[in-house]
Parts: sequence; structure tokens; C-alpha cells
Amino acid sequence: MRSTRVMLFAVVGVLTALVLAACGSSSESGSSSSATGNGASVVTPAGYQSSVDESLSGKRGGTLEVLQEADFEHLDPGVTYFALDYTVVFATQRPLYSNEPNSNEPIPDIAAGKPEVSADNKTITVHLKEGIHFSPPVNREVVAQDVAYAIERGANPNVANPYIQTYFSSIEGMPKAEGGPIKGIETPNKHEIVFHLTEPKGFFVAEALCLPLTAAVPKEYAEKFDKSKPSAYTNYQVATGPYMLKNNAEGKVLGIGYVPGKSATLVRNPNWNAKTDFRPAYLNEIKIHLGGTQAVIDRQVLEGKSVVQNEPVVQSAVKLAAEHYKSQLDLSPGAGNRYITLNNKVPPFNNLDLRKAVYAAVDRAALDRERGGTLVTNVATHFIYPTIPGFEQSGGLAGPKVDYNEHPEGNMAVAEKYMKLAGYPSGKYTGTKTVQVVGASSAPEKEDAEIVNQTLKNLGFNTKLTLVEISTMYAKYCDAPKEEIEVCPTVGWIADFADPQTVLKPTFDGNSIVSTGNVNQGQVNIPKINEAMAAAELIKGKEEREKAWGKIDEELIENAVAIPYDWEKSPRLAASNVHGVAMLWNEGSWDYSFTSLK
Amino acid sequence: MSAAEPLLRVEDLRVEFPSEDGIVHAVDGITYQVQKGRTLGIVGESGSGKTVSSLTTLGLTRREGARISGRILFEGQDLVTLPEEQLRAIRGNDIAMIFQDPLSSLHPLYRVGAQLVEAVRAHREVSKAQARARAIELLGLVGIPDPARRVDEYPHEFSGGMRQRAMIAMALMNDPKLLIADEPTTALDVTVQAQILALMERLQRELGMAIVIITHDLGVVAEVADDIAVMYAGRIVETSSTGQLFAAPEHPYTWGLLKSIPRLDGPREEELVPIPGTPPSLINRPSGCHFHPRCPYAQPDHARIDPLLAPVPGAPNHHVACLLEAEVRERLWAELAAGATPEQALAEVGVPGAPA
Amino acid sequence: MIRYIIRRLLWGVLLLIIVAGLVFVLFRVLPTTNPAVLRAGRDPQPKLIKEIEVVLGLNKSLPTQFWDYLKEVFLHFNLGYSYYSQESVRSLIVERLPATLSLTLGAAVLWVLGGLSVGIISALRRHSLLDRGAMGSALVLISVPEFWLGLVLLFLFASDIGKFKIFPGAGSYVPLTTDPWKWFTSLIMPWFVLAAGSAAIFARLMRSSLSEAMKEDYIRTARAKGLPEKAVVRQGVRAAINPIVTLFGLEVGVLLGGAILVETVFNIPGVGRLAYQSIQSSDFPVVQGTVLLASMFIILANIVVDVAYAYLDPRVRYS
Repeated sequence: MRSTRVMLFAVVGVLTALVLAACGSSSESGSSSSATGNGASVVTPAGYQSSVDESLSGKRGGTLEVLQEADFEHLDPGVTYFALDYTVVFATQRPLYSNEPNSNEPIPDIAAGKPEVSADNKTITVHLKEGIHFSPPVNREVVAQDVAYAIERGANPNVANPYIQTYFSSIEGMPKAEGGPIKGIETPNKHEIVFHLTEPKGFFVAEALCLPLTAAVPKEYAEKFDKSKPSAYTNYQVATGPYMLKNNAEGKVLGIGYVPGKSATLVRNPNWNAKTDFRPAYLNEIKIHLGGTQAVIDRQVLEGKSVVQNEPVVQSAVKLAAEHYKSQLDLSPGAGNRYITLNNKVPPFNNLDLRKAVYAAVDRAALDRERGGTLVTNVATHFIYPTIPGFEQSGGLAGPKVDYNEHPEGNMAVAEKYMKLAGYPSGKYTGTKTVQVVGASSAPEKEDAEIVNQTLKNLGFNTKLTLVEISTMYAKYCDAPKEEIEVCPTVGWIADFADPQTVLKPTFDGNSIVSTGNVNQGQVNIPKINEAMAAAELIKGKEEREKAWGKIDEELIENAVAIPYDWEKSPRLAASNVHGVAMLWNEGSWDYSFTSLK
Repeated sequence: MSAAEPLLRVEDLRVEFPSEDGIVHAVDGITYQVQKGRTLGIVGESGSGKTVSSLTTLGLTRREGARISGRILFEGQDLVTLPEEQLRAIRGNDIAMIFQDPLSSLHPLYRVGAQLVEAVRAHREVSKAQARARAIELLGLVGIPDPARRVDEYPHEFSGGMRQRAMIAMALMNDPKLLIADEPTTALDVTVQAQILALMERLQRELGMAIVIITHDLGVVAEVADDIAVMYAGRIVETSSTGQLFAAPEHPYTWGLLKSIPRLDGPREEELVPIPGTPPSLINRPSGCHFHPRCPYAQPDHARIDPLLAPVPGAPNHHVACLLEAEVRERLWAELAAGATPEQALAEVGVPGAPA
Repeated sequence: MIRYIIRRLLWGVLLLIIVAGLVFVLFRVLPTTNPAVLRAGRDPQPKLIKEIEVVLGLNKSLPTQFWDYLKEVFLHFNLGYSYYSQESVRSLIVERLPATLSLTLGAAVLWVLGGLSVGIISALRRHSLLDRGAMGSALVLISVPEFWLGLVLLFLFASDIGKFKIFPGAGSYVPLTTDPWKWFTSLIMPWFVLAAGSAAIFARLMRSSLSEAMKEDYIRTARAKGLPEKAVVRQGVRAAINPIVTLFGLEVGVLLGGAILVETVFNIPGVGRLAYQSIQSSDFPVVQGTVLLASMFIILANIVVDVAYAYLDPRVRYS
């Protein structure tokens, strides 16, 4: 079961990645933002089915019901970073740059055009569109100061945006900011915003402008809410997008447009100007019902009318839909990868041959079967996954040609070969170290952890298997370097955006290791690869980046730093009379601004 | 016994219960009578069938799959074959029964008064107020002080003796013609015992009610019974008036009972002589005379022949079921009454047919 | 009796304080996710975590936090605010209480009526086909997991996804005041699921309790009084029911704290679901609030049951 919670940590990356690549590469490709443009190469494994209906056109009107098991975490644009939350935030908030559903090429949203990066890479200038207004009760036109405040409030501890320091720390004055005005953000006039950086990272920061942090927030209205601990703005938020959370005359959303644990209601933003927006916004209203259990929800959607669900579908329902309700099932590629992390720092897996032995022995096809089989998985042979540039360059479907990578069902003969090379002539480990294996206790992670555990035992390792709740698995064990967990079998990652750097750097760069929340769980630290990554980061140009990062992916596999086993596809269900449009860049979630009723 | 028409006549009653180990012959062909206004005492050990015969009178053994034959005639009706509804009309009404342990026999969760009221309203159309008034009246009649207050108390708030009195009061609510008292004093201590017995005697005099009192205690029947029937292993072995029984008992079992009671007027050195052995199983009973295995005077053919209740010569209202000759018995008793042990009496008298 | 009740209530308050303390310790000291870390995102810098801890009040010493919390709860009835929605915990709970009450009390009626009647009939007709069938079904219902039973019922009878479209499907609960008929029909299947296991236990209990009671001497007396059999049975039931009343009270008390599984499957917005969601997201104030509520109900149920017992059995007396 893919709890959104797990995806969160990864998805932050996805979104960031998507944003960065999307926003960043715009200056290169020069192609116009057509509705069906999709720069990434989409691999279509057998049985794969893309959007239920490729076109983005639709009928106006109607109310869409959404059945949603999990409640929202954060709907404040300055805080939000979960895929599920994004389904609402990106229908109601407009950042500087954004994405169309079928694409990961960013297009200007509040911005009027592409970002202008100075020659020395230290200044970014963005011009804003005119005629964009806030929803009631603010009503007035959006100006540059609103974008400035939106970013500044992210540094306010009461808001505590989770990625602001990661991507925006090079803005002058940002590291010490606490919510007040930031020196490096300048608004010379109402429709122009300029960022002054302390380091030559303008290209990188310009890409980050697709993040929801840049969605305009009116200071004179919001700052009183931002004073409470934590900020209450989320309960009084105003919108710039085609929809808004229903509110009362004072702007209160809590209890009206959002009733925690019960419902959320999106209505049309009366001040939205369609001419300023690429979104068609066919639906009149979106009613989200919270609670219930996914198994029931999936069936209710399949048999109902004007209803969708927007979370991972349970395996049985995916199978049912694939057989009997094909036109109602969407399987989006590029929903991330899964791999088994091996601790590269401590014995026994600091030994390369032992890592290769385990890699060879693991039955990756069996792991994928537990996750739902070929409908929703592909056996992974390297880390960059389909829809991310660099996929072909690192070997495509087959992956790098090394013997331990060529047997998706596992091969004990090859495994034994490497055990012997590692110094265990019997083909089985005879050392004394006990290997700690920490997985998640929910299905199918539990089954996958048990398969990996058994594989290790077959190789002669003494193991200690611990299964805990998924967020505990990350927070307490796998993401904590000092625990020195040897194997984490159910780690997943989604790119921040369609740039291979965001798949490989945070997860396998030795310089990314931190003491808590460490997503380089294997503590991979190979100097040669670190250097290659540092260099590849600075490359300008899509093709060169693909080549460079593809090579790095190959080297990671040649060093067996971890064992990839799944390239995920994300299933979503819609009722038969719903023309659903999925956000390729947001885990295949339905895009409320493009979805319509038939 | 008087020649007037008896209130209750039991004729050749047999009651059997099927069980896992075989058929339990609880009552094996008994015949007795109860006269109006008189008290019959039924004496026997546990397992003699005395309680079962009384329960059967009220039809309370029907539920347990008992096989009943014989007749129980009450006011011209045979209670054995009487339909349940009609029998229910008699229970607690014309014939009432009280039991051994008044604490467990009264419902612990209902007030005493309510239980009494229920008894009368089951059979008569009276208002609750009338029933309550009668309950108070009867509680007073049986000697419970301050009955108007105690009527609202719970059984556990009464002392042992008072509880039994309350049970008696409950039995009397419908002016029964016959009261069956099954071991009414066994659970009480001696002083209270005497009070209850005195009460029962008084009530019989005042209300003209017949009483059957079932007990294992000869002292109790000596006190209150007019007539006595002695039961052993499901059969009646001797019936007679009380005075006659104590003066001239005929059956060896009765002798044994009498000899095992300490007597205030007996010689100081005289030993109590218990009856050897234990009561027989009611599933596999001894053949012939049921008492023969324990009888000191038994003869070989007593194991073959069933003794029948027959009148004692010279005392037409005294019946005994014994195969010994009357004359022999008389002499044996004379010895025993003088203080001899059964062995000594046997040796002295000699029994025809017995080994010398 | 009044003094007894007051004493029990005072002990109850002390117990609540202890429970609050336990929950406090459990969620802050034992290894689960620090909400500040959860809030801080995928690459949390220590500075950010610290900031969030300050904002959420997690940086103060444990005893200080606890003391502040106690003061708020017992003096101001303020249960704090959700870390996520900033909605007051008290209003979150109060809002969801009617749904849980509807579910629990309705199920209670069902299981009392069902369990007792089946138990009584079984006791009176021991070893008959009816009895064996009833006890066998009871065993099945006790063993079946609630969640599974709920799913099965939905897939069979729900009007949206069921084979036989009879009852409203999951998520169709509305408050009584909004639409009484819809409220009623949407609760039929949840009531059944919630009541099933308990009714079965009650039936078995009643069967053995009544069988025992019917062997008692006072039943013989009742029959000897010439009472009709119905009245005799009523006396038996009156005696047999006491241990069951105790169990009933306690079960209701527990369920008033929220029937998580049934509320989740049928998507009923009750306190149980609130508790579950808040535990998942480490929303401490809400978790504490729901636990306190559940504890309060259990404590009250215990007191009520004990007092009721004194009325039901006059032999029981509290000094």
C-alpha cells in the first residue's frame, strides 16, 4: 500500500525536481508550451495505458465528487509539499511558473514570460502578467509584492516552509530571514520581481520558481494570520487559480470550504480571468469527501457517476479495472522508483562483491509481483526511470550490461560467484555480523521485506528483520545514519522534476548525507561519482545533461550501490462519465482544472 | 388410620429416570394416604425416594423425562395423568410445597412481599393491594414481627428462621388443603427448628390443613406427625401411627433407625448402633428385599422374594413389608428394646432357617 | 450511595490525569515520529526542526508541557489545537461525537435485543437444533473480523457497489437532524457489524447464565407456586441478567470512545476515525483529546455499572 505519507518525502523531491527541470529547461528548448507537448521520452512497457483519453478538451459545467481516504496535510501554499495536497493547491493557487497535465515543461503562470537570468548567473528577473486577481474577500489585482511576501513568509517559523533553504538560500538575506522583508527580493514596480543572489546559481533558482511557495499571498490580509503559532493563514487563504476553497464573507475557509476529516469544497473563483490562464477549468464545483477505506472507495468510483478517487488504487481494484473497466483506469508512468538500500559504509556491505552478490540473488520480479505485477510495475535495472531524461542513456529498459543485473528473477549461480570473490569459498556468508533489515509493516512493503530477508538468509547472512509503520521506518531507522541499518528493502524515490539530477543527487551523492532525514540511506560516498555529480550539476543543455547523468547512473549500477527493483506506474480511477486528465508531473493525480464530465 | 376418605391417596407409584448409567428407580411402587387435617411424616435416608414422590405429586418431575406410573388421587382426580394446565392450577393453590433451604428457595432479587403477592395472584383475581394485605396478614400469622415493614424487605434481610416462616406464609397464601414440607427444618438450628415445628402444628390446628412432612430426622416426626411412613430404597417398608411406631416398630430398618438415635431415657453405657453399610444404588438395587444386604437378620431366600406391605397381626392400621415372621420380629424387638445389640438379639432369638 | 458516587467520580478525575500523563509520555518519549520532523519535510535542517518545535511548544521541558496541558484541560476545558488544521480539539471532538453516539447506542440496542433473545431461547431449548444453530452462528460472528464483515456487507448489499442494492453505501451517513430516514438507513449495516460480535457474546453468556439460573432452587419454588412457565422464565432471566448488565455497560463505555474499524469501513465521521487519523499523523493534541474522551467514557461506564449493580442486586451494598 502506498501511503501518501511515504511518497511525501519523496514527492517533495518530485515536485521540486519537476519544477526545477520544468522551469529551468524552458530557456533551452524554445518550444512553445503546447497543450500536448511532452519533452520526455515515454517508454511504454507491455500493458501500459496512458491517459484515459489523451485530449485535453472537455464540456463545461457539472460537479465532480472526489472520494478521498486520507485527509490533507497542508493546504497553505507556503507549506504544502504532498502530492495529495497538490491536487487542491494547484487548482487554487498560481505560482510564477506551472505545468500542464501531460507535460513536464514549465510554462509561465503568474509570470508573463520566461525568467531572465543575467550573464553572471546572479540575477533573475521575472515579469508578471496583468489582470490576475485574488479571490474574495481580497479581490484586488495581484502584484509583485504579493509574490515577494509569499516567499518571505516561508522563512517565518510560524510557516516553516520545508524546502526554502534547500533551493532559495542563495537569495541575498535568505539564510537569516525570519519572515520579514528579504534584501535580495526586489520589486521595482507592480509587475516586476527581481532576485539577487549571492552565488552564481541563477539557473537553478529560476527553476525553483515553479514551486508553490511562489504562489501570490496578499500581505495586508495574511500577515495577521501569520502571527499565530503556527500560522492560521491556511484557514483563511485566498486563491488566484480558477477555483477557491469555499469561504464566508470574512474569508474563513475552516469549517466551510475545508472541514478537517470530513470534506473540502472547491468552487469557482469569481475573480479568475480565463484569458490569463492556460487552464480551461471545465467543472463548476469539486466536492471532496474525506474518510472511508480505499478498497470500498475504488469500487464506489468504478460503479458510480461523476466521481473520482485521487490516491493510489488498491491492487485488487487495479486488476478489476484493467479487466472490466479499462476506460476508467489511468496508469501514469514515471511514478518513481523503488530500491533496496545497502549500507555502503559499514560491514558487510561496504564490500563491493558482497553487494553484487545480493544484487544478483534478489528476485526483483517477485518483489514487483507483490506490488501488483506488470500492470503497475516494471522491473528496474537502473535508477533513472521512464519519463525522466537520461533513461535511455543509462541503458533504457534493459539497463547496464553487468551479469548481476541481467537476471530479474535472481540467479544464485552469479550470486555465488561474487560471494567467492568476496572471500567466502562456500558461496555462503560465514562472518559474524548480523544484518539488520528494516521494512514497513503494511502490505506490500511487508511482503517485499520478507522476500529480501529470505534472500539474505539464503546467502548465509544472519538477519534481524524489523517491520514498523512506514513513517517510523524512515524517521527512526533508515533515514538515521547513526542507526547504521544495513538493509532497507522498501525505500522509494520520486524525482523532484524531470531532471535526472533530482533522481540521483540527493540519494547517492556523498555530500548529501545529513544526520536526520537522510535520504542517502545507503550512505553512498564514492569520490569519483561525487565529483562527476558536482560537474554534471553545472552543465547547461538538456542533451549534455542526459548524457552526463546517464553515465553516472551506469556507474552507480556498476558499483551496486543499491538494488533498484521497481519503476512504478501510478493508477487512478474515474467514473464512466468523467473525462479525467492526469497530472503526469504529480504522480498521475487527476487535475481538477482540466478534468470534465462527459 | 382413620377410615374416612383420604385427602390424598398414592397408589403403587413408580417413578423412573433414564440416566447415562442406567435407569434410576427413584420410587419403586409406593402406596400411602394422607387424611384431612392430619400430618403424615415420611422418613428415610437420602436416596430413599421420599422427595421424588412428593415432587411427583405436584408434577414437578415431569420436565426431567421421568417415567411415572401408578395413581395419585386428589379430590377425585388422578394427578399423574392430569394435563399440565390443570395441575398448575392445583400447585401452590390446593397443594402447596415448601423446601429445605429457604435462602436459596426464595428469589434473592425480589422483595419477600412481592413473592407472596405473586403466589396469590397466580391463582386468584385479586388486586395488588388486596394481595399485599393478605401477605402482611400471613406474615403476621406465621409469627414474623412487624410484618407491614418486613413485607418490603429482601430475603437476605431475614434471619434463617424467619425465612422459613416466610416460605410457609407464601405456601399458605391460597389456603391450601395440603402442605408438603420437604425437610423444612434441616437447614435451621435446633431452637429455631422447634419454633418452626410448633408453628406448623398451630397452623394445622387453626387452618385444618393436612401436612406431609418429609425428613430423615425421627425426632422431627415424633414431634409433629400423626402417622409415619418409613421409606427405604424407593419403597415404603413400614407405615403406622406415630405412637405405635415408636412403641412397637416392626421393620428391622426402623429398629436400626431407632437404635441409632441417642435417647435421653436410655442407659448411660448403651452404645449407639448404626446400621452397617450404605444405601443401595437406585440403578442396581438388591434383588428381593432391598434391605437384605444390611439386615442383620436376613435369610437366604430374602434375596429372592419381594416383601409386600402387609398388616401387622393385631394392629390393622400398622403395615410392614418384611419376610420375617411377626412373632420372630416381636421377640427380636423385645431384645433390642432391652438393650441388646442386633448380634445379641439374633443369637438369643434364633431365626428359623438361619444357620445355628 | 451519593457519597459513594462522589468518591468514585473524584477517583475518576485522578485517573484521567494519570491517563493524560501516560499518553503524554507515550507519544513524546517512545520512538515514534516527532511531529516537528514530520512537518519539516524531506531534508529537514536542524534549525528548521528547532523552529517548528518552538512553534508547536515542543521545546519546553516535558513536565512544563504536561503542567500547561493539565491546567488548560481541567481549568479551562481547553484541549488544545490540532497541529495541522489549528482547529480546537474540543470542537473537533464535539462535532464528531453525535456520529459515534448514533453508531454505538443504536448498535447497543440491537445487540441487547438480539443477544438476549437468542440467548434466552437457546437456554430454554438446550441441545435443540435451534440452540446448536444459534450457538454455532454466534461463534462465527464472534470470530469474524469486524472490518471484513463490514466489507462483505458492503459488497453484498450497498446500494452503490453491492450485488443486491438494498442499503446505502459507505459514506452516506448524515446527522439525525438533517434527514432522519437517511440517518437511519445508512446506519443499519454499521449497527449490524458493530453489534454482531457483541450480540453473539451476549447470547452465549445469557445461555449459560440462564441455564444455571433455571437450575436454582427458587425456580423450583416458582413452579411449585403454580406460576405459568413464562413467569418462571422471567424470574430466571431476572437473576441471569446481572453479570450481563456489567458487561454491557463496559462495552458501551469502550465503544463510546470510538469504533474505529466500523467508522473507517463505512466512512462515518466519528471520534474513532478522528483518533486513528490523528495517531497516523502524530497530531498530539488531537490524540490526547480522543484518549481522554475514551478514558472518561470508560470511567463513567464503570461507575454507572457499579451503581446499577447495587440497584439490580439488593444484596450488594456500598458503604
